[in-house]
Amino acid sequence: MDSIDQPLSTFRPLTGTMEAWNAAYVRVEDYLRAHRIHNRLHQSRLIQAVLERAAQRHAENPVLDPTTLAAEAVEEMMDQWFADVLGIKDREHQRIAIDGRVAMLLCDGPQQWPYAFLDRSNIPADFATTMLASSIKAGPDMTVSSMVPRDIDLGTITEAAGETLERMEKWPLLRMVLLWALFLGALLGIFFVTR
Amino acid sequence: MKSPSPTLHQFISQKRLSRRRAWFYSTVLLLTSIATWFMADLLWRNDKINGIEWVLLVLFVILFAQIAVGFVTAMLGLYVINRGGDRQCITRTVDWDHEDVPLASTAIVMPVFNEDVSRVFEGLRVIYRSLQETKKNEHFDFFILSDSNKPNQWIQEEIAWVELCKQVNGFGRIFYRKRRHQINKKSGNVADFLRRWGKRYRYMLVLDADSIMTGEAIVKLVAMMEKNPQAGLIQTAPRLAYGESLYARMQQFANRLYSPIFLAGLNYWQQQDGNYWGHNAIIRVQPFIDHCALPDLPGTEPFGGRILSHDFVEAALMRKAGWQVWLAHDIEGTYEEGPPTLIDSAKRDRRWCQGNLQHAWLIAARGFRPANRFHLLMGVMAYVSCPLWLLFLVFSTIHVFNQVLSPVTGAVAFETYTRVFGHILEIPEAFILFIFTMLLLFLPKIISVVTVMQKSSDAAKFGGRGALVLSALMEIICSGLLAPVHMMFNSKFVLSILLGQGVSWVTQRRGAEDGTDWREAIITHGGQALFGLVWGVSSFILLPAFFWWLSPVLAGLVLSIPVSIILSKNSLGQRARKLGVFLTPEETQPPHELSRLTQNLVECYKHMRPIEVLRNDYGLLQAVLDPYVNAVHVAMLRQRRPSEESRDWFVTLRQRLLSEGPAQLTTKEKLALLLDAESMILLHEELWKQPSSALAEWWRLAIRQYNVLTLTPTTALYR
Repeated sequence: MDSIDQPLSTFRPLTGTMEAWNAAYVRVEDYLRAHRIHNRLHQSRLIQAVLERAAQRHAENPVLDPTTLAAEAVEEMMDQWFADVLGIKDREHQRIAIDGRVAMLLCDGPQQWPYAFLDRSNIPADFATTMLASSIKAGPDMTVSSMVPRDIDLGTITEAAGETLERMEKWPLLRMVLLWALFLGALLGIFFVTR
Repeated sequence: MKSPSPTLHQFISQKRLSRRRAWFYSTVLLLTSIATWFMADLLWRNDKINGIEWVLLVLFVILFAQIAVGFVTAMLGLYVINRGGDRQCITRTVDWDHEDVPLASTAIVMPVFNEDVSRVFEGLRVIYRSLQETKKNEHFDFFILSDSNKPNQWIQEEIAWVELCKQVNGFGRIFYRKRRHQINKKSGNVADFLRRWGKRYRYMLVLDADSIMTGEAIVKLVAMMEKNPQAGLIQTAPRLAYGESLYARMQQFANRLYSPIFLAGLNYWQQQDGNYWGHNAIIRVQPFIDHCALPDLPGTEPFGGRILSHDFVEAALMRKAGWQVWLAHDIEGTYEEGPPTLIDSAKRDRRWCQGNLQHAWLIAARGFRPANRFHLLMGVMAYVSCPLWLLFLVFSTIHVFNQVLSPVTGAVAFETYTRVFGHILEIPEAFILFIFTMLLLFLPKIISVVTVMQKSSDAAKFGGRGALVLSALMEIICSGLLAPVHMMFNSKFVLSILLGQGVSWVTQRRGAEDGTDWREAIITHGGQALFGLVWGVSSFILLPAFFWWLSPVLAGLVLSIPVSIILSKNSLGQRARKLGVFLTPEETQPPHELSRLTQNLVECYKHMRPIEVLRNDYGLLQAVLDPYVNAVHVAMLRQRRPSEESRDWFVTLRQRLLSEGPAQLTTKEKLALLLDAESMILLHEELWKQPSSALAEWWRLAIRQYNVLTLTPTTALYR
């Protein structure tokens, strides 16, 4: 990984427009802020290191966008750094990033050790220990049991009513006729009662 | 709580219990018979019995029996309280002063569904802390069982869970599980928990999203379970708390003041044949797994299909399997919240109505205990009685109409005198029946007030004697006005369910002050008010005397719109509180846990919300943009390998989300992305890699705004 302690004045991208590199700068700054890296000095040093790496790649292939290259550079640096801190080099990139960020969040890394993020030369021992101890578990180990619904004996009358209902649901025409019969019956009943 | 007697574990003998129940049912029968006699005499005095009179009498018997059940329960409760409590009570099986019962592994489960995340997790924090203070927390694990189906809710819950665990050092003690498929609602959610982890625990304590229980209460419940190996379920009687609006405060006042005698009476006759109300209850896990998985009912929803109100049925199944179900009505430190407005209350009733009507299938089920059948019947009647009351009043109007038009009797049909032991008194006979009914309805309330007023220290908990009487009077008037509104609501619900139709609700437009707005109130209550108006005018034209009899019902209906709006106001609730109206002991002498929750929530709600443009999809924003939230979210997802077809679909969705913004995606599409771990990882990478020109304006704004205004991401918890 590139050193993050080079003087700021040394960075000069050889290819790409100033506008594109400014956009890349802003993107890396936003990304670091999203990681809760709010320490300005540390942020600037990191941004420069990232842009240096991106600028080298851009010189090799100027068609690529500096913002994309800078984002890739910062991801790479983070992967290497997380792999070092957590000792998980053999895993695929995406899992390293996930585990690393989860560990960072759980140990409050950016708040507790504001200068440690992406610094390979000076990893505080307590930070490394806390990072290693941080893991997330949404539930305990499963001990699967079977919970199967058992039929409730509803009784003869209710069973018969249920079967009738289910049959009526299968034959919508019959249901309609019965509902109309019920409705007309009620009307007739009211008529005879009230007249 | 008093120390137990030496006959602790010898619960009531069957003979004595039968005697208690005989008293209960006989008194209900006696009171109903007296009222029926009055009613029959009133209906048949002047003429031969006709069809309408028969209908009226049958309806009256059904409805009056229900009133009598409430009255007798309360009177039994009064009897029990006056005797210094019932010795046959589950809470007395442990000597709390001298006994330290060893506890067992217990899961505290809280099923949540799109609830206020701050409220859920701050509530859990309070319970967790309270349990820590008992120094017996090593026996307890917490589970948040989420069925939330809104992207924002889901992500907020995950963030809040991580934050809570970080702050209370709860990893490995507090767990979060989000269900991929929300099958069978709450009962399915709990069943899913039991299938995965049930075997690890001897007990589970089921909470609602708005439940609060003190650590002491939880420890006591486990101790009671351990002491009573035949107990399968112990239900507590949660008190309503945190009411802000006038309506909610009135409900919690009524609940706090009147419920003790009803609960004591209920326990007196039901004993080990108690009921389950779905939350704030402890359950023995293994028998619940073995016996309480619910089958579908005959037919399809709304009347059949899956059982919606699972709790009553689960209690009945537990009893059927031989396990005891107890009501620990005298245990302190168990709370829940009530609905804030009349309309919210009606929405809840709509759900409960469908669930309770389904219980009609089960009343005659083989093997259920009579007490459980009675609970199921009462559940059905709680809703069916409303259309029956409406029918009763409508038939009464028709009856009056017939009498007025009758050439024989005319308006004379209305008696202006009555006979008592041969003496003619100048009061209408209907008035006596009216007074008798009112007595049964209001005497328990009056007794509750008098009981509390006997001790000035008890009255002080309700704001003092004056405030207590004033509050009770206001509550009686308001509940009188609300009763016909509930009648109309529930009648509509019952009818719509029987016809297999849903009920639509107006979307609320909240103004500067929370509460029901005029538009919502007019659309919701307009029909009721109009019905009351037409009914009132026609009854007045028909016979003014009848109009005055009906006036309490008519007043409730005609005034439903303003009453609903006034009761929904938080400002009026606060003013009432300042004036000392509707105070409860939980407000005047708040338990530590409730004060802590209030304080925490005030802190939570102080924080800035995301800007308007980003607010609707802020959860998705965080899950894609925030490296930590994205990592936590992906870490919690089960890794699945999607098919080639769905992979292509996800590629398209991801492209659309980044280039067009989340507003162009449906909720289903957003949820699909959130459920796919690969997509979430790639979305995060692509969002940060793509130049601004390739991103939707919404994402550009999100990147610039995120974390600028607040140091920490907007979550439910900030400390």
